[in-house]
Amino acid sequence: MELEGNSEPTILEMRSITKEFPGVKALDEVSLTVKVGEIHAICGENGAGKSTLMKVLSGVYPFGTYAGDIVYQGKTVKFRDIKQSEADGIVIIHQELALIPLLSITENLFLGNEPTKRGVIDWVSAQKMARDLLARVGLSDDPDTLIKDIGVGKQQLVEIAKALHKSVKLLILDEPTAALNESDSQHLLDLLRGLKGRGITSIIISHKLNEIEAIADEITIIRDGKAIETLNVRDDGVDEDRIIRGMVGRTLENRFPPRIGDVGEVLFEVKNWNVRHPLVADRMVVKNSSFTVRRGEVVGFAGLMGAGRTELAMSIFGRSYGVFQSGALFKDGKEIKVTNVQDAIDNGIAYVSEDRKALGLNLLDDIKRSVVSAKLSKISKGSVVDKVEEYQASERYRKSLRIKTPTVYEGVNKLSGGNQQKVVLAKWMFTDPDILILDEPTRGIDVGAKTEIYGIIRDLAAQGKGVIMISSELPELLGVSDRIYTIFEGAITNEMSADEADPETLMKSMTSTEKRAPKL
Amino acid sequence: MKKIVIATTAFAAIAALTLAGCASRAPESGTDSTAGASGFAADATIGVALPDKTSENWVLAGQLFTDGLTEAGFKPDVQYAPATGTVPEQQNQINSMVTNGAKVIIIGAKDGSQLSTQVEAANAAGATVIAYDRLILNTDAVDYYLAFDNFKVGELQGQALLDGLKAKFADKAAYNIELFSGSPDDNNAGVFFAGAMSVLQPKIDDGTLVVVSGQTAVAQTATQGWLAQNAQSRMDTLLAANYQGVELDGVLSPNDTLARAIIESVKSAGKPLPVVTGQDSEVESVKSIMAGEQYMTIYKDTRALVAQAIVMVQDLQKGNAPETNDTESYDNGVKVVPSYLLAPLVVTKDTAAEVYAGNTSLEPLTK
Amino acid sequence: MSETATRAPEKSGGIRELRKLFAGGGRQYGILGALVFIIVFFQIFTDGKTLDPINLINLINGNAYVLVLAIGMVMVIVAGHIDLSVGSVAAFVGIVVAQVMKGLSFPGLPEGMSSFLTVFIGIIVGLIIGALVGAWQGWWVAYVGVPAFIVTLAGMLLFRGANQFVGNSTSIPVPQEFKFIGGGFLNDFGPDFGFSNPTLILGALVVVAVIWQERRSRVAQRKMGADIAPLWVSIVRLVVVLAVVVGATLLFATGRVGTSFPIAGIILGVLVLGYSFLTNNTTIGRHIFAVGGNWRAAELSGVNIRKVNFFVMANMSVIAALAGMIWIARSAASGPGDGVGWELDAISAVFIGGAAVSGGIGTVAGSIIGGLVIAVLNNGLQLLSVGADRVQMIKGLVLLIAVGVDVYSKRQGRPSIIGLLTRKRGGELDVSPGAKPAGTQTPTPSAGGAEETVRPPDQQPRG
Repeated sequence: MELEGNSEPTILEMRSITKEFPGVKALDEVSLTVKVGEIHAICGENGAGKSTLMKVLSGVYPFGTYAGDIVYQGKTVKFRDIKQSEADGIVIIHQELALIPLLSITENLFLGNEPTKRGVIDWVSAQKMARDLLARVGLSDDPDTLIKDIGVGKQQLVEIAKALHKSVKLLILDEPTAALNESDSQHLLDLLRGLKGRGITSIIISHKLNEIEAIADEITIIRDGKAIETLNVRDDGVDEDRIIRGMVGRTLENRFPPRIGDVGEVLFEVKNWNVRHPLVADRMVVKNSSFTVRRGEVVGFAGLMGAGRTELAMSIFGRSYGVFQSGALFKDGKEIKVTNVQDAIDNGIAYVSEDRKALGLNLLDDIKRSVVSAKLSKISKGSVVDKVEEYQASERYRKSLRIKTPTVYEGVNKLSGGNQQKVVLAKWMFTDPDILILDEPTRGIDVGAKTEIYGIIRDLAAQGKGVIMISSELPELLGVSDRIYTIFEGAITNEMSADEADPETLMKSMTSTEKRAPKL
Repeated sequence: MKKIVIATTAFAAIAALTLAGCASRAPESGTDSTAGASGFAADATIGVALPDKTSENWVLAGQLFTDGLTEAGFKPDVQYAPATGTVPEQQNQINSMVTNGAKVIIIGAKDGSQLSTQVEAANAAGATVIAYDRLILNTDAVDYYLAFDNFKVGELQGQALLDGLKAKFADKAAYNIELFSGSPDDNNAGVFFAGAMSVLQPKIDDGTLVVVSGQTAVAQTATQGWLAQNAQSRMDTLLAANYQGVELDGVLSPNDTLARAIIESVKSAGKPLPVVTGQDSEVESVKSIMAGEQYMTIYKDTRALVAQAIVMVQDLQKGNAPETNDTESYDNGVKVVPSYLLAPLVVTKDTAAEVYAGNTSLEPLTK
Repeated sequence: MSETATRAPEKSGGIRELRKLFAGGGRQYGILGALVFIIVFFQIFTDGKTLDPINLINLINGNAYVLVLAIGMVMVIVAGHIDLSVGSVAAFVGIVVAQVMKGLSFPGLPEGMSSFLTVFIGIIVGLIIGALVGAWQGWWVAYVGVPAFIVTLAGMLLFRGANQFVGNSTSIPVPQEFKFIGGGFLNDFGPDFGFSNPTLILGALVVVAVIWQERRSRVAQRKMGADIAPLWVSIVRLVVVLAVVVGATLLFATGRVGTSFPIAGIILGVLVLGYSFLTNNTTIGRHIFAVGGNWRAAELSGVNIRKVNFFVMANMSVIAALAGMIWIARSAASGPGDGVGWELDAISAVFIGGAAVSGGIGTVAGSIIGGLVIAVLNNGLQLLSVGADRVQMIKGLVLLIAVGVDVYSKRQGRPSIIGLLTRKRGGELDVSPGAKPAGTQTPTPSAGGAEETVRPPDQQPRG
């Protein structure tokens, strides 16, 4: 490729890798060159082939199941499984961490690789080695701490420590910061820089383009199973828009659709809402919250994780979280009784969960059954499901939401994150809701799909529905909402129109109880 | 009468052949006919369906049947029911034997009350059904019953218990005893118990025998599945509840397996051994008797019973009615089944050598 | 459709068409293949005794109760539970029904009327007791929240003891008239053609139903704008199915005089149809799969989880009651050892039939086929006079291998044998701009190209 003439030594060269699944060419002649000691980012939309490429590299897909050569440290390698690649110093850290929650940090670090003396695990030296490894990733926790007791950010670091123990030379991180908050992400990125200083090469797959921009030396962009280009961050003057252009093959002129349609009268009102923690009797997770949603309006909820956003949303949605204490719900000015999920659905409330795999979908189902699952009565006579109507309904949503799938008979587990999210949206749109509560509707999905989801949200508003959108991404809230509430420690701390809001003001209200913080 | 039966059967057989010839169905031979009376091929298949291998006798019987029938020129199809799903599998096995064209099916029933549908099918298909050791109930399709006289077994056990108590505790006027009976799903269990009680009940009534626990009904004394573990745990409970400071003198046990379990229980409770009855002459129990632990057992020579069964099969093959010696005692609820009963023998330490003479596996134990 | 037809690789065309033969099926076709293989194998090695009419009747009568149990069990397992108590519940209901019928007499009525009433009341009492037992167990599982494993383990002891309590640990015979539901036949009537007339009529009804169903599914496919299988596929499938139906009809119609297709088989058939419809086409059926697949998602979709759990557990006990009655009818008596180990037979059938241990996956038809695999195997080995000890060993291995093969092929990311044969045909194909290459449309379950969506089964999140 364009870098071949470069004089810097390369650690890895993947040449014309082609990987086919029955009927699908997941990788089509992809070449990738990684230099020693650099941080190389791989960007692409979901389904582009990034993870497949990394699985080929690490031996998850063994030699012989793909075409092309892998040259690693000057030698052509033929990994048959992940053990062989690890022996050569290639370690892959997956998005889903491979740690065991009920074992200690030490036990996890040496799992499958325990230091032994005459066949007995030598816990004394294991402890000492664990401390050293943790220090190298900047952790000072007691190695006896159970994994479940440390945060996701630290767990990610433990994974890296585990890799260091295996004398890693090439570290592959698949979406390492997806589940991390701002400061943990920052810490992780700093650590990667530190590893780079010590000569460890990293390949990082991420959707967070600002992070990529900040940390990567080179970026390879993959689209539809083909390597589109490799950019040098410093020389090519790469910024987010440049990366997006490469990923989607076009410029996303406006990531946020225009606000069309008028905001009408008040549709939905929550008054003095109080909810207790389900287990801790004296802990209130939602405190005296009141807010309104108008017809045709998108109302944003900004708050840090754990601020009580999801708790507020779920408790409104048929008291599906916590213990209801007091408060009232009004729709079109009339009080409504919503004590379970069925009531909520009957009253035209829909809730799209932040965790679509755990709470939004039955991953064993196909698309058509998923779409109709929240309101089977709509397509049933008596209690017999009309399969023709089911097909037609799901087919309608497949087309209107542009769900990328050959047929609605496909299992939802075969869809990419963005398309799964569209199925969840379809499922709730199918219930003909008046009020849609969307909890992190774009989490973990790629840029192109995000824009489509924003379009869907605005469309729903334009149809006169009230939309509540909870999000951790401030640009998204500012771009899509008409009005934004901030929430902190279970209480609503501020309310402002999107036009007058800016990230700084929001962040202030999200981190203090001070009501009506002065606008800057 | 017999001629009519023979003629009917022959006619049925001819009709069956004719109809089968035109690819049609075989008619049902009447369930009331004494099937097989016209004889059958000398190398015919003989089915033997035995229950699960819960005692040595069943294992031995299986071997003897296989060998004996082979020797007599027949094709034996000997099947044991498995330990789980015993009844349904035994039903299936009998069905398979019918399908396989067995002319005589000898059945050692697991539960004699749950086989009527199968033996009726067997009979309808022209097979003769011999109930072996355990009677098959509530059907007219069982042709013969072959067993040891089980009521007699009970009587002998009861009498032996009395004799043993008198001999061991010559100074006592009254004896403390406990009663055990066999599995409630086995028709014989009740017969043994009734036989024994016919001897013991008068003595209980006159106070010679005292059942300290008061448990004298069949349901109270039953041992589910003839399982040693059930007898042992019941004995443990009885000892703990009733014999703190009271001496146990005798136990009526329906068979050897249970007798040994009872002895085991008494031993682990640290009590002196009572007089314990038994039945079946299992190797371990014969050893126990010779060692002075178990008091007695009953010898029902499986060899003799199997040999008699084979004689019956041979009679049937020739078209003769097999010999029976009791045509009034064994009413299975629908009919009185013609029976051939063999006499059981009592074995104590003193008589063992004499009774077991000639039995290669038991005789050496008596020396 | 035209688009795929042209864009799909040429060579796969024939196979794709072949797959359409099994359109609309579930995962059960692999195991159906195994069943056919076993039948052919034993048919050869038992000199044709396997497909002998009498043997087939025995096969159905001897296994009807396990197959009936498997129908209820698959729903319990799909919902993510297990029921260990079915054998004991069946035994308990059996002894009560036997006891009730023994005690009933209607002196004023004519003989036939009296025995009809006795049997009728017996059956009603049995079903009511089953429902009460089910409500009891369902309440503990659904409303108290005790795991079904524990509730039914308790039930296993409770109702075993109750059986012995009611029956005094003895066997109780049932009236002759009652035996028809477990070992009875349809009464012959009309002129004698050398066949059992009711069996012929039954067969004819099934033939009509099969043709009607095929027609209806083509109409539905057309309405759905779906990828309609070519006519010849429909015809071939019809011919195969009808050949089996006609063959079976003739076999059952030519058994011994007085026999026909057994009543127990008819009961089983009605239950299979009814419960297949329930699980596939009704809202409660959908809810059962939803709860088993991801109960938290189901809850947030408005499914009343408690109701669903209560229903499957209660339904299981009613079915166990029915199985118990079929059994005592076949055995002509209810005994203290009835039902021991039945729960394991039913559970094996369900898992051989392709259900997932973790719930959410399973079909009624698959479970019946799974049960038949064990039944035919058992019967064939008995016909060959293989001892019970070895038969059990073989059955254990078959269970392990059947499930093992399926799990292994799935883990390899390869289309499992079962999956390969059974992929449902999709509807209209969409080739949206920027979609993956045409091959994507091939309906093969595989570790597809989409990253993030493919992980080994052990990493699949489960609710």
